[in-house]
Amino acid sequence: MRYVLRRLLLVPVPLLLVVGFVFAVLRLTGDPVAIYLGLDATPEQEELLRAELHLDDPIPLQFAWFLADLLQGDFGTSIQFKTAAMQVVAERLEATLLLLGLGLSLAVGLGVLAGVACAVWKDRLPDFVISILAVAGQSMPSFWLGILLIQLFALDLGWLPTSGRGGWQHLVLPTVTLATFLVPNFILVTRISVLETMREQFVVTARARGAGAGRALWLHVLPNAINPVVSLVGLQLGRLMGGAVVTETIFAWPGVGRLMVSAIFQRDVPIVVASVFIVAVTIVLANLLVDLVQAAIDPRIRTR
Amino acid sequence: MRRLFWAAALAASVIAGPCLAQAKDDTLVVGAAVFTDSLSPAAGGYITLSLVYQTWEPLVARDADDKLVPALAERWETVSPTHWRFHLRRGVKWHDGTPFTAADVKFTIDYVTDPKTVYVRKGRIAGVVATEVVDENTVDIRTSSPAPLLLRGLADIAVEQKAVTERLGQKEAHRRPVGTGPWKYQEWVAGDRYDLVANPDYWGGAPAMKRLRIRTISEGATRVASLIAGETHIIEEVPVDLLPSVERRRNLKVDSIESSVSLVLTFDTRKPPFDDVRVRQAVDYAIDKKTLLQQMLGGYGSVLDGQLVTKATFGHNPKLQARPFDPAKAKALLAEAGHPRGFDTKITTLSGRYLSDVDIANAAAGMMTAAGVRATVNVVEGGVWSQLDRNKEQGPMYQIGWFSVGDADFNTVWYTEASKRNYWTNAEFDRLWQEGRSTLDEGKRLAAYHRMMEIMHEELPSIFLFGLPRISARAANVEGWQPSRDSLLRLHKVRVK
Repeated sequence: MRYVLRRLLLVPVPLLLVVGFVFAVLRLTGDPVAIYLGLDATPEQEELLRAELHLDDPIPLQFAWFLADLLQGDFGTSIQFKTAAMQVVAERLEATLLLLGLGLSLAVGLGVLAGVACAVWKDRLPDFVISILAVAGQSMPSFWLGILLIQLFALDLGWLPTSGRGGWQHLVLPTVTLATFLVPNFILVTRISVLETMREQFVVTARARGAGAGRALWLHVLPNAINPVVSLVGLQLGRLMGGAVVTETIFAWPGVGRLMVSAIFQRDVPIVVASVFIVAVTIVLANLLVDLVQAAIDPRIRTR
Repeated sequence: MRRLFWAAALAASVIAGPCLAQAKDDTLVVGAAVFTDSLSPAAGGYITLSLVYQTWEPLVARDADDKLVPALAERWETVSPTHWRFHLRRGVKWHDGTPFTAADVKFTIDYVTDPKTVYVRKGRIAGVVATEVVDENTVDIRTSSPAPLLLRGLADIAVEQKAVTERLGQKEAHRRPVGTGPWKYQEWVAGDRYDLVANPDYWGGAPAMKRLRIRTISEGATRVASLIAGETHIIEEVPVDLLPSVERRRNLKVDSIESSVSLVLTFDTRKPPFDDVRVRQAVDYAIDKKTLLQQMLGGYGSVLDGQLVTKATFGHNPKLQARPFDPAKAKALLAEAGHPRGFDTKITTLSGRYLSDVDIANAAAGMMTAAGVRATVNVVEGGVWSQLDRNKEQGPMYQIGWFSVGDADFNTVWYTEASKRNYWTNAEFDRLWQEGRSTLDEGKRLAAYHRMMEIMHEELPSIFLFGLPRISARAANVEGWQPSRDSLLRLHKVRVK
């Protein structure tokens, strides 16, 4: 319990750092007004908007105002859309979480199974084939894979839709694209971890006491080998978010990733901060969950 | 690279696959390139109007050709140079059944021009000082000085219903539009799609289709794939390198129109070597614009006639022509200006802001290099760009597209002192610009713009490259579709057979 509390107390620190950093970088690298108004804006219009947004205040002052609002849960109003920034982001959050959740589950599931297969048939054909596929999968850029999948399954075979959100069919290609990008890591980590655990004395003991190969693998080896995989989930979340940005763009998926990227280009600071904040919260909470799961699996972590 | 791959992949699949997610028969599905997260006329960039004007309408509208046409106002006249009278269309009903009246117009213009209102395009009707209801169907608008651009400005202001906006407040009213337009709001899913149903009582005739869905598909290759797969009937903005794969299919058609965006290469005329007009002319002779148009824009759009505005824009000077491609003359001019061995320079550009922007800059740099002006291309990100722009630090040459929406006033402003962004300056030009925007006499305005175009043609503050095209594609069984110069979607007469 103390462990959980200690971890919870640390949660706001990375969030504050992330938000401060994003704000500073965005305000320092570009002026939003020219971009919001579009190509046909006249200089008079720009002056009007500039005054309206208080963009003439010094940056530290702008940040102070911004933090004060943030403490009251107000992320500001999107400069482009004139709607509460958090509301715009929240509307997109579910789509992204769905995609991330499915992609991650598929990646972990496939990765662990394939990794175990590699370890069991070490240096034999399955290990060889899976390892090659893993390297290929890791080297393949997401946008390229996504386009290949659209070409094959949507255009040539006509089994699945090319893009957008709708029924379960719309989920298949984005999920596969996202998972492919993560699976290789899980395969490699599972493989090594299982191989190492197999050599541990308690496994040898279990086998000596008459446990079959399958029983030893699933009941003795895997539970002890799974912790590195769990921590990898935590480590991969950031990358996963990056993959989601690309995947959402290719498949026209209405998620936070695409929103965030377009907001960055538009210098829509409230939207960027709100989405980065949400992403950071997701990653921090997921990492917290990962820590707790690990502590639950491995009592040694709890006593640290 | 990605584009290249797509072109190859699409070329490889000779026959379109069977169509899975065929849209329902009575629904028109459009794949939009840029989508916004707002339906509000008060917020969002220009492109938001593409969604806004499905449900709402202005008093005076632009058509697909950028010409002004009656919308909620049937006709209008000027009582005096600062006093306009608009006669409203009779019998128009809002989507909730209440009749449209002069009170709605007054309400809208009053609240847009109210200094306290946040309304992104309020600058478009900045000169309006009063709006008066004369009777149920007549509205008077008074301006502080003669305002020749009032009608074009009004074309960007959606008329809202007084009762609804007052009752719900601006924010709520803008979330679920109740307009007078051809389509009625049904559902809007941020970042994904906008669903609408036909307004059978529309004054311009009921739309040809029962339903409309506008989907956002920002990735060009995916947009093309959705059209090939039959998920969309019309797509905006076909990437130039994917054009051949669309053109080759018999069940698809490409449509194009020249926009009012003029792509130019602007010089920093304050510093050598481009402070010398001979050097600027040399660059103009060195660039083979016709070849560039063929190679980089697929032959769509057109080469500007040696002036800033496109042919369809008010103010175009028919007497001017683009300088021909003449590398020998370019070299001679350079030598005359004291650069017999040429010099190094660079072109700054954004990436992806305009059709084929980086490709065009690279090819132009290559042509300039061949003539002795050794140019490199510097691609910068939007935020950095806006800072360079504000500080007038874009370097010796930069590429930009200026938008006119049909009237020379809107893009010539960028060459006047009023813009605070101009490198080049010319007192006569500035005076003519003021003249053009302060008289209602069309003949006088036209004369002013013609002279301005002449000045620019001689002095060359920029190389005038192309009127950029808008290239859309559709299924062959789609009728009544035309892309618009101003990029807004006009869909009520479109039919899928």
